[in-house]
Amino acid sequence: MRLYEYEGKEIFARAGIPVPQGAVVRTASEAREEAARLDRQVMVKAQILGGGRGLAGGIKVAETAEQAEEIAQKLFNGKLKESQVDCLLVEEKLDVAREIYMSITVDRGRGGAVAIVSAEGGVDVEEVAKRNPDKIFSFLINPLYGLRGYEAINLVRQIGLEGKHLTTSARVLSRLYQAFISCDARLVEVNPLVITNEGEMVAADARVEVDDNSLFKHPELQEKHLQRIDNVWEREAVSGNVNYVDLEGNIAVMANGAGLAMALLDMVKDRGGSPACFLETGGGISRQRMKNGVRLLLKKAKADPRIKVILVMIRMMISPPDEVAEGLMEAISEVEVNTPVVAVMRGRTLYEQRAKELLKDSGVPVYSDLQEGIQRSIELAGRED
Amino acid sequence: MKILIDKNTNVLVQGITGRLGTLQTKLMLDYGTKIVAGVTPGKGGQTQFDVPVYDSVAEAVSHHRIDASVIYVPSPFVEEAVSEAVDVGVSFLVIITDWVPLHGELKIRAYASAQGVRYIGPNTPGIMVPGQISMGMISDSAVMPGNVAIVSRSGSLSDEVAAHLSEKGIGQSLVVGIGGDQVVGMNMVDFLKLLKEDEKTKGAVIVGEIGGTAEEEVAAYIETEFGKPAVAFIAGRNAPPNRVMGHAGAIISGGQGTAQSKIAAFQKAGVRVAKTLWEIPLLVKEWA
Repeated sequence: MRLYEYEGKEIFARAGIPVPQGAVVRTASEAREEAARLDRQVMVKAQILGGGRGLAGGIKVAETAEQAEEIAQKLFNGKLKESQVDCLLVEEKLDVAREIYMSITVDRGRGGAVAIVSAEGGVDVEEVAKRNPDKIFSFLINPLYGLRGYEAINLVRQIGLEGKHLTTSARVLSRLYQAFISCDARLVEVNPLVITNEGEMVAADARVEVDDNSLFKHPELQEKHLQRIDNVWEREAVSGNVNYVDLEGNIAVMANGAGLAMALLDMVKDRGGSPACFLETGGGISRQRMKNGVRLLLKKAKADPRIKVILVMIRMMISPPDEVAEGLMEAISEVEVNTPVVAVMRGRTLYEQRAKELLKDSGVPVYSDLQEGIQRSIELAGRED
Repeated sequence: MKILIDKNTNVLVQGITGRLGTLQTKLMLDYGTKIVAGVTPGKGGQTQFDVPVYDSVAEAVSHHRIDASVIYVPSPFVEEAVSEAVDVGVSFLVIITDWVPLHGELKIRAYASAQGVRYIGPNTPGIMVPGQISMGMISDSAVMPGNVAIVSRSGSLSDEVAAHLSEKGIGQSLVVGIGGDQVVGMNMVDFLKLLKEDEKTKGAVIVGEIGGTAEEEVAAYIETEFGKPAVAFIAGRNAPPNRVMGHAGAIISGGQGTAQSKIAAFQKAGVRVAKTLWEIPLLVKEWA
């Protein structure tokens, strides 16, 4: 779950990382009041979750309180990267001497959390990584000890910081690790970390992503998580414990397990079919998840006439055929729509036979041959040119 | 030679009385797996399919020789269940549970490797030596004994690939899914190292998917070290790209992780890449 910049900065501030003075505002007049209170040049920053916010015009400098109000009005009235802007961050404009970069995230290849620092920060940090990889350094953190002070020092020393800058930046990095731990993050990123002309270090931006599997420890976030999903189908998927992605075509594709669902998607496409969406339920599918998945696709088909067929492939590993078949039938009985469902059910011969028997009168053709099932669904969808 | 486990391995089931633990213990016993004990706190003294249940792993090891443990406890308790087994000297673990918190996975990995314990998962379908032992949920009907190993990142897709091989008469020496999460225990290269030394295994099928750089590492290992033939399958050629997580995500992946990058890496290593599941046995037949 990705957090807004202002929420990330709240977490940073609690961990003791300096952030710019300012406040979150929800109306243009609040923006004027906050700019007047700060009584200096301010940044007006749209709070949206997508990237590329600056390039899209979502970050502006205001010289006066009136100007802050004008900018805020424009941002509230328009849309930014297809998102409605609900709130802005109005904060002091920093006196920048230098910008560096810091983050803590999980490196799958190295099997642990890493601290990453770069001598150059800003939107071009990825370019720096490509052009001058020797300017970016990382350190694998032992989670049993946490990031220790001397480890932080050794890391930031490599980007050429000295004296007070060295100790200050190492302290910020240690606190960033505290923030990473406190909110069960997958990522905490400060880009840029501004070194001001006065020698202070301030987090000018904050990107925090919380591990979805840890949301149960953060009930206040768990609630927001659902509210923040714009796509109604994705939202229904999350509440039904399945994963869903919208695509463009006319065959809705579902399978138990992400790998299997992706493989199915590829094979449908290779044969000339056009997947409309992708839904996966996890490998050990229960009756409830089966029902949630199929019901979601039937509702989607009802709302979107482009969808001509629903292809469901279940690999019955531990899921008894009765659960799978009953989940499917319950979903069909709940949603009134004529879109045909094609099922591929594979597993023990006995399971396959049982699934076919249970679904005999349901109108759902059940295949145990994958190629036949894919072929049938493409025929029903009508071949595309 | 055995690859980690065989028919003589004494297996413990942690979480033996839960919904999944109960269902799967039955299936594993039916397959011939030597489950000698189970653990569920508070259920000590009971039995599950005639298997004695203990309150703790320490109690179980005081009554039985335990060679390996398969873990089904609910996700908030997985981190402790692993420590508990590691602390009393269980040397190989299979963590089936999914939805495990990331920071718990980080600690599991650090703790187990500090103690020299090898593990698979979390979020794995498990490991199976066909004809001998099953730890996890790979289905008995999908596999048959033979000499081709399947090393996979997926769950149900591993099962499906095994079924496609078995349907064409190609048996397996090992079927394993390493787990779908960001931080897992043994990786695919760890398994290829074991398979390289296993005289029974003629070659391997690598089942990968988009995201991460594991397949690129596997391709590099096969090119330089493996010395046996391999066939690869990559799921997700047409899936929308994974959302890159911040600049940090882009810095770490350095352009790897896409299906194209993985397929190119395998082709460079001389590994044939199957486009469909039914093409896998055709390519394997060339050497198996």
